[in-house]
Amino acid sequence: MTALLDVAPVARRPEIAETLEGVDVVRPTHVEVLACGALDRGDDGAAVMAVGRLADALPLDVRTRIVGQLDIDDLLTVPKGAGVVVADTALGVDPGWIVEIPFSGLAGREAGIRPRSSHALSIPETIAVASIIRGHPLPGIVVAIGGVDFGLGEALSWPVASAMDAFVLAIADAIGRVRTLVLAG
Amino acid sequence: MHDTVIAPGGTDLDVDVRNLTRVEGEGSLHLRVREGAVESARLEIFEAPRYFERLVVSRSMDEVIDIVARICGICPVAYQMTAVHAAEAAFGIEVDPATVALRRLLYCGEWIESHALHIYLLHLPDLLGYPSALDLAQHDRTTVEGGLRLKRAGNAIVARIGGRAIHPVSVRVGGFSRVIRRDEIRSLRADLVGALDLAEATIELVAGLRPPTFRREARLVALRDAATYPMNHGRIVSNDGLDIPATAWETMFEERQVAWSHALQATGRDGQPYLLGPSSRVTLDGDLLHPRAVAALERLDLGDQIAHEPNWSIAARAVELVHAIAEAIDIVDTYEPPERAIVPWTPRAGVAAWATEAPRGTLFQRFALDTNGHVETARIVPPTSQNQAAIEADLALFAPTILDRPKDEITHLLEQLIRSYDPCISCATHFLDVRVEDVS
Repeated sequence: MTALLDVAPVARRPEIAETLEGVDVVRPTHVEVLACGALDRGDDGAAVMAVGRLADALPLDVRTRIVGQLDIDDLLTVPKGAGVVVADTALGVDPGWIVEIPFSGLAGREAGIRPRSSHALSIPETIAVASIIRGHPLPGIVVAIGGVDFGLGEALSWPVASAMDAFVLAIADAIGRVRTLVLAG
Repeated sequence: MHDTVIAPGGTDLDVDVRNLTRVEGEGSLHLRVREGAVESARLEIFEAPRYFERLVVSRSMDEVIDIVARICGICPVAYQMTAVHAAEAAFGIEVDPATVALRRLLYCGEWIESHALHIYLLHLPDLLGYPSALDLAQHDRTTVEGGLRLKRAGNAIVARIGGRAIHPVSVRVGGFSRVIRRDEIRSLRADLVGALDLAEATIELVAGLRPPTFRREARLVALRDAATYPMNHGRIVSNDGLDIPATAWETMFEERQVAWSHALQATGRDGQPYLLGPSSRVTLDGDLLHPRAVAALERLDLGDQIAHEPNWSIAARAVELVHAIAEAIDIVDTYEPPERAIVPWTPRAGVAAWATEAPRGTLFQRFALDTNGHVETARIVPPTSQNQAAIEADLALFAPTILDRPKDEITHLLEQLIRSYDPCISCATHFLDVRVEDVS
C-alpha cells in the first residue's frame, strides 16, 4: 500500500474507466506488471486480485509478478527495453477511486507520495533509484485504487470491491499504453 | 517526562517533524523548548494499532508463527523465530541440529537485508550529506549498487529457506515445512562470498564518516549467549549488571501507555529507559562476534563511540553485517540436511515465552496456552517500542546542544538522530513526522 498525499495528474471515477478495446495484442513488445500487496490484508490485496483476473487475457509478452512491496530489485530485473505497470492500493485517495501516475510524473513528488506499511522507500524514490542504476529512465505507469481496510484477514471493503472491474480495466488500459510507448521507442 | 534541560541560547522553540522520512512506519517528533529548557521530547506514534496480540488468541502456535510474521515486512523472521522457540520450549521439543543451523542462517539473512537497507538507503545519505537515497544514487551509483547487492544476498537466504523473501512461510513448530536440500543451501555461497567483500568495503566506507557528535551514557540491553553472538537465544544482560533469563523479561521491564503514542512504551521497572539494537549488542557481545567481524571492529576502532554515540550506530550495523555474512557462509559450508523436516510433538498447556535478537534489538513474546496448545493471551514486545523512551531521552539531551543552529538544520539533525536508531514504527505499532515552529 502507498500513501498518495499529493495525488492526481489523472483521477477518475471507476465507472468512466476505459475498456480493453483497441489494445494491440499482436505486435510483440514486453511489459512487466508488478502487483503490489497481499491478498490476506483487505484492500491491500486489490492489485493482486485485479492482475490475477487479467492474467489470462494478456498477450504472451506481458509478464505479471506479485511483488508484495515494490522493491528496487523488482525494477532492476525488468528486461531491458520493457515497460512497467505498477498496480497498488493507495491511501490518500477516496476508497474505490482509481488514479494513475506515469513514472515521468513522479519526479519531485517524493514528499507527497510516501511509503506506508513496510515500504522503506517511497515508490517515487524506488523507481528513480532503479532508473539511475539501470542507466536510463524506465517507461511505466503506477495505477492505484484508493483503499480503506487493510487489516489481516479482512475482505475487500465495499468501495474497493465494487470498483474492482474498473480497476482491472484501468490496469489493462495502462498496459496497453505502456506497450505503445515501448514500441514507439 | 524528562529532567528539564537548559539550552545555552535561552530560546523558545517547537519542533514538529511530521512524516519522518526514511524510517519504517508512521509517526512524528514533537520537541517543545521554553526559555532554553526542553519541556518535552515526544515520539508521537500515530500509525494505527494493529491488535496482533488479539489476533493470535485461540490460534495454534503454528498459526501464530505465520500471523506474527505479518507484523513487519522488514523483520518477519524475528517474529517467527521468537514464537517458534517459545512454542518448542513450552512443548518440550528438541529440534534437529540442522534445523538449529537453518534457523540461524535464516536469521542471518534477515539481518543482512535489514542492515544493508538501513546503512545504504536510510542512514548513509545523512552521513554523506545527501538529502535522500535518490540523491546518493545520482552522485554515487556504485555505492548504492553495492548496498543493493548486499540486500539481495540477504533476501536470497530468506527466500530460499523461508519460501519467499517477504513474510516467509516455511518455519514450523518442530522444524521446517520441508527438508531443505544441501545443494539449495550451497547455491547461496557465491553471492555470500561476494557480499562479504562488499561488507568489508562497507567497513572502510564507515571508517571515513564523520557523524554529528552527541555523546551520552545509556543503559544498553541485549541478549547474551555463552558461545555465540546473540540471535536465536540468550540471557538478557545490560551494561549495568543485569543478567536474567530471557523468559523473565517481565520481571525487570514493563510497558505503559503514553498519551502521544499508539505503541506501548517500555522502560525498566525503575522507570529508566534502555537501548536495544546493534550498538548494544556490539558493546555487550563484541567478544562473541565472528573473527572476521572482530577484525572489522578492531580496524574501525570505534568501540567507545558505538557504546556512547547513537550517530555511530552505523558502525555497529556494519560490523554486524560482516558478522552475519561470515556466519552465513560458515553455516552454508557445513550444512547437512536433517533426517526429517519436523520432529513429532504434542501440545500442552503452559506458558510459551522467549526472546530473540531482531535486527533492531531484543524482541520478547509470551503466550499463555490452553491444553490444546492454543493461545489464551499474548504479549508481543517489539524492539522499537522498547527503544522509544531511550530515543526521547536522547532527543531531550541532544536538542539543547543545537538550538543555536538555523531551524532547518535543527530539524535535519533531530531527524538524523532518530534515523540512527533504525526505528520500525510498524512493528511498534507502529511510528514518524518533524514540525518546526519558532515561537520566540
